[in-house]
Amino acid sequence: MKDLENDLRKALERREPPAGFAERVLAQLELAPTPKPGWREALISLVRVPSLRWATAGVVACLLLTLGALHYRRVQLERAAGEAAKAQVMQALRIASKKLNVTWRKVQEADRRPPRT
Amino acid sequence: MKNLIKAGTLIGALLVLVMSTSQPAFGQNPRLKINNLEKLSSKAAEVVDVTLDESMLKLASKFLAAERDEAEARELIKDLKGVYVKSFEFDKEGEYSQEDVEAIRSQLTAPGWTKVVGVRSKHDGDVAEVYLMTESNTRNILGLAIIAADPETLTVVNIIGPIDVDKLSALEGKMGIPRLDLEKGKASKKPAASHDEKK
Repeated sequence: MKDLENDLRKALERREPPAGFAERVLAQLELAPTPKPGWREALISLVRVPSLRWATAGVVACLLLTLGALHYRRVQLERAAGEAAKAQVMQALRIASKKLNVTWRKVQEADRRPPRT
Repeated sequence: MKNLIKAGTLIGALLVLVMSTSQPAFGQNPRLKINNLEKLSSKAAEVVDVTLDESMLKLASKFLAAERDEAEARELIKDLKGVYVKSFEFDKEGEYSQEDVEAIRSQLTAPGWTKVVGVRSKHDGDVAEVYLMTESNTRNILGLAIIAADPETLTVVNIIGPIDVDKLSALEGKMGIPRLDLEKGKASKKPAASHDEKK
């Protein structure tokens, strides 16, 4: 039992790294290629630059305004087309209804007329 | 080879069956060709030209209010496939010919069309005819055509789809047109009536 304890203590005892170990690790880290930043990181880094912060905000605002204007224009065009179609429907039904009734009236007039002898 | 012929015959028979069941009005087309009347536009003092296909009718129904006459119009056009109107008002007589009217009337002799009412006055030169196209087996209305003419006006209305003629007729007086004093019930009880006035 005592031997086992001694072996463990010996195996786990603190040892100093060889000389120059830390310098070698740091040198290897500098040599390793840095990962490329993604588009999200690139965008965020733009905002982090104080001189570009306002420019980015301006571009985003312009984009939003353009999209809003395009959407508004599309809605306006659709409304105009719809109103024109509605006016056409009402006009067509008005004419059809009127002509139907004129026809009924003419039939009735013909019915009321005394037969020719 | 025999199996191939059998399969072909079977497919052909199935196609005929499908066409005859899914399209009961196969061969019946309620759409009239009224483009021949466009030449009259230059002579007319007033022209009304309405061309509304199904997509336009659907768009229009979105904008029809849910109140009064617009609601009734929306209900009327709900299942329609098209509404076409050509109406001309001339300053003087004789600007359109009988051939122009005959070109429309001849299309209404096609199978499915029935003249519901027809009035012709040789004295006044007035013509008023209402035609309905009905499905041969179900008698559902597939289309409506109206030809109304007097010496100075010519109107052709072509409605595609199941139109309620009574509701259409009842719209008068609700859309800014003074209602005529009519006994429509009496007139509508006389289908296929044709009156040729000869004075």
